[in-house]
Amino acid sequence: MKKNLSLPIIILLFWSLFPLLWQLYTSFCTPEALTHPLEIIEHRWTLENYRQILKSDPPFIRYLFNSILLGITTTLLTLVFSLPAAYGLVKIKPYKAKLIRIILFGIALFPYVLLFLALLEIARDLNIGNNILMLSIPYSALSMPLAILLLTSALKDIPSELEEAAKLEGLNLAQRLKWILIPLIAPATSSTAILVFIFSWNEYPIALTWLSNPDLLTLPVAIARIAGSSVYSVPYGAYAAATVLGALPVLLIVIIFQKQIISGLTQGAIKG
Amino acid sequence: MIGLLILPAALLIILIFGTPLIRYIWLSFHASSVITGLVPIANKGANWQRLINDQRFWQDSFQTFRFAALSVSLELFIALAIALLLNQKWRGRNLVRAITLLPWALPTTVMALGWRWIFNTPYGPIELIVNLIGLDQFNILSNPNTAWLATVLGDVWKTTPFIALILLAGLQTIPQDLYEAFKLEGGSNKEALFKITIPMLKPYILLSILFRLAQAFGVFDLIQVMTGGGPAGSTESLAIYAYLNAMRFLDFGYSSTIMIGSFILIVFSSIFSIYLFNKFKNIQGYSR
Repeated sequence: MKKNLSLPIIILLFWSLFPLLWQLYTSFCTPEALTHPLEIIEHRWTLENYRQILKSDPPFIRYLFNSILLGITTTLLTLVFSLPAAYGLVKIKPYKAKLIRIILFGIALFPYVLLFLALLEIARDLNIGNNILMLSIPYSALSMPLAILLLTSALKDIPSELEEAAKLEGLNLAQRLKWILIPLIAPATSSTAILVFIFSWNEYPIALTWLSNPDLLTLPVAIARIAGSSVYSVPYGAYAAATVLGALPVLLIVIIFQKQIISGLTQGAIKG
Repeated sequence: MIGLLILPAALLIILIFGTPLIRYIWLSFHASSVITGLVPIANKGANWQRLINDQRFWQDSFQTFRFAALSVSLELFIALAIALLLNQKWRGRNLVRAITLLPWALPTTVMALGWRWIFNTPYGPIELIVNLIGLDQFNILSNPNTAWLATVLGDVWKTTPFIALILLAGLQTIPQDLYEAFKLEGGSNKEALFKITIPMLKPYILLSILFRLAQAFGVFDLIQVMTGGGPAGSTESLAIYAYLNAMRFLDFGYSSTIMIGSFILIVFSSIFSIYLFNKFKNIQGYSR
């Protein structure tokens, strides 16, 4: 069974990293270096691309900030709705809970991009377009089916005797939540939170239609807008710098929270 | 009483997922465009009549189908290979697993822009290699016959990690004794893959197909940024067409019709592909 695995591992690493490394390389290149990739030229490396996008109007940092704000409010809102719902799902009659879980699973499969037009109409009717905080309402609703499924499967794993015993000891719901339920589902809650945050960080079609004010754009929309702005003269160095900055936060999240993400993805998919 | 805890989430989900569908069905029987000042006016089945005769809709359906079919099948194969590799024990496995996950976590628009640069003619690395070998330029993104393959590659790159993780979780549920017993009876590794691994993974493969097919049918971000639906509309997906009708042609009635039409196609093709998958399994004679 022990074969030499180094070749497949190298191929896998190359496959996963090459496009990213190419962007990183491009982001430090001068325009001349990009158009003369194979020749020896004087000025190959530069930080000008980064300087340019950090100084643009509005500065790129603004989009990062918008996306972080949206990600945090979406995550909190999702958890505030999903945690009680998941607890309720564990406590109601099993056949009802099963039916609801199947419906939630079906909704989670739905390609939500098809919703953009009706959501746009809602935003227009309620006059809540161009508002980052309001955007977190559809975002959290879109992440909720999966979040509820994840949290339900974690809550189901808690033996009900544990809660019964605590009840007998005279702990009320708030105390039971504090001492038993929350600590036990903390891992599932954190993986849910991270998945929701990543969804919100990456979401594009709804943000594209809800936000038009240049100061309020989220990162994916800002980047797509850069891409569409100038088809003829293509300042790829600056684009690459923008993509590197936009990718960095997610890269950090993946490296730090690898375990939670993997358990969230697999649990959500499999037990759901 | 405890059921009330579910209510707020249920209401929000119904508002965001349910009302749009009802709204679309209603709008699909109305004219609501620039001409009517976006005020819906009932037009019986005119939108649906138009959809059935709309060549562009059927062409986009075909394009979306082949995109989804090729993407999801490639993803399954590559993901299985990755999962088998990550399921073995070697040093640095956890780090490699994190790196494998990176493409999945990045915003699609970010990497779509990256791919556009990689496929760029003449400065992207693909064309550079082609040049070095001495071939003619590929012009992948500006050739209607090849541009969609580039978008497939972008999709495969991004979503394979997700399937790989699901399959990896499936691999970890297969008891090791099964393989040992199989080997004692004289089976080879390759046979074990087809007689044990793949049959045992069946529910996980089904799950991946379900998840990914629906998402691939709704492909939007990647195409929008990478090719904008071009060249010559060759990469235009149903979601892009619906988007164009709503946001550029300002025809909400027809856009809704396209979305309900796409939704029906998605449901049918998901059911059909699962039926196909099951049938394929039965031909192979697996008992499970």
